[in-house]
Amino acid sequence: MAQKQTSMPSGGWKELKYSLVLPLLTIAAFLGVWELASRLGLVSASLLPAPSQLARTFAEKLSQTEPDGATLGQSILSSLQTSFSGFLLAVVVGVPLGLFMGFFEPVDRFVKPVFEMIRPIPPIAFIPLTIVMLGIGFKAKMFIVCFAAFVPCVMNSYTGIKLTNPVLINVAKTCGASRWQIFSQVCVPSSLQMVFGGVRLALSTSWVTLVAAEMLASSSGLGYMIQMGRMLARPDLIILGMLLIGVIGFLISLALGALERRMAAWRAMR
Amino acid sequence: MKNKRPLWYYLLPLVSLVLVLVGWLYMAAAKPLLFPSPAETWQRLIKLIEVPLARVPLYQHILISLRRVLGAVTAACVLGVIFGLLVGWSRTFRATLGSIFEILRPIPPIAWIPLITVWLGIGELPKMLIIFIGTFTIVVTNTYTGVAMVDPLTLSVGRVFGASRRQLLMEFVLPAALPAIFAGIRMAIGVGWAIVLAAEMVGASAGVGFLIFRGNELRDMPLIFVCMFIIGSIGALLSAGASWLERRLCPWRP
Repeated sequence: MAQKQTSMPSGGWKELKYSLVLPLLTIAAFLGVWELASRLGLVSASLLPAPSQLARTFAEKLSQTEPDGATLGQSILSSLQTSFSGFLLAVVVGVPLGLFMGFFEPVDRFVKPVFEMIRPIPPIAFIPLTIVMLGIGFKAKMFIVCFAAFVPCVMNSYTGIKLTNPVLINVAKTCGASRWQIFSQVCVPSSLQMVFGGVRLALSTSWVTLVAAEMLASSSGLGYMIQMGRMLARPDLIILGMLLIGVIGFLISLALGALERRMAAWRAMR
Repeated sequence: MKNKRPLWYYLLPLVSLVLVLVGWLYMAAAKPLLFPSPAETWQRLIKLIEVPLARVPLYQHILISLRRVLGAVTAACVLGVIFGLLVGWSRTFRATLGSIFEILRPIPPIAWIPLITVWLGIGELPKMLIIFIGTFTIVVTNTYTGVAMVDPLTLSVGRVFGASRRQLLMEFVLPAALPAIFAGIRMAIGVGWAIVLAAEMVGASAGVGFLIFRGNELRDMPLIFVCMFIIGSIGALLSAGASWLERRLCPWRP
């Protein structure tokens, strides 16, 4: 919510009330009710541990490897590593492919049937196949993440090229630009914003898919940690993992949003 | 200009499909244990249609998964649109319940699976709840964005003509936000179809997600291939259906 309010003019108490006081009060009340319900035994601690218990588990897990075999830092690092490598591979392959498909019709006609065939298959449906072929581990997880991130990269780059203003292309043609020049100097720059949207979507998709991949085909990472929490009936581990996954996902999208705003500024300057 | 293409140009899609088939046949010949041949996959499909797996015929597996998705998505649409409208319309609501929603939103639906299975077991309700969580956030976010993007001029016109706050919401904001809402619903159907697979692999006795993970357990590669085709085809059908519905219900969308 916080980034929404920055655009509003600051208007004293009323503004502060809506942007800070009420949200904080609500969250405090939410945590308070949760803590109380847990302390008073309204909900069993084996189902929903109190926030204070979560904080304790968090502090413990920072240094302890029990019971899932990795400290929190190691799990986070492992998750980030897998999701970024799958994501980067998808961007490196997917964006150029989408751009070429958008501009060169033979490429489009060649790749489209295959792409349309695999596109509707959700990345999760690839997990069983991947487990059998690549086992469980880094390669398998990376493949699943890569596939999930690949589709939005291709789709958005493709659409970005297709949405190029025809006037710009005609101007370039009139000035005697070659086809390659039109592609690289007119279409690609004009599609950049769309491409970036795809990359952003790909990054958040890769993070979500990673959790699924780690829950099913992994022996490390945050997804593995919450899966272990389920098997060992440790709801504090599960909830801690969920919150961390959420926080990291939020930070990633925040960072990308900032990057995108800088890109937009660059666009406006040209 | 369009009709001056050479013949090879029209053959390209065919060529690529043939290449895929050849690649598939080659892989099947090279690694028969990992890659079932197209013929084997086809036979497995026929067998799956004729012989029920886990005492449930194939069409029932599909229907059960579809029912879970559509049930959860319907609930998510109804509640999500209401919640999204309230968050977009009332600052108090946005500052209170909206902030709790914002905290929970970045948690991927799949990460809820362990917690929900601990809480509710592995019946029908927890599966639908997982799909509901994933699709609800999409519908709310899109509805909220749609409301936030309503042209202020539209609202001013409403006020000048003396509309009450309720009329403003129902007769000005809601129609203006409908395209965004329907885009959210279309997205929710696709996402719901993906999440149901994850929800079913945790513990189910029927459904396409159950089928594909049974294939994994039994190392039954043809079954995994067949399931991927089925899941993909139904996903494509669902997305086509959702687009059609969107065009019918919301023809003025940009």
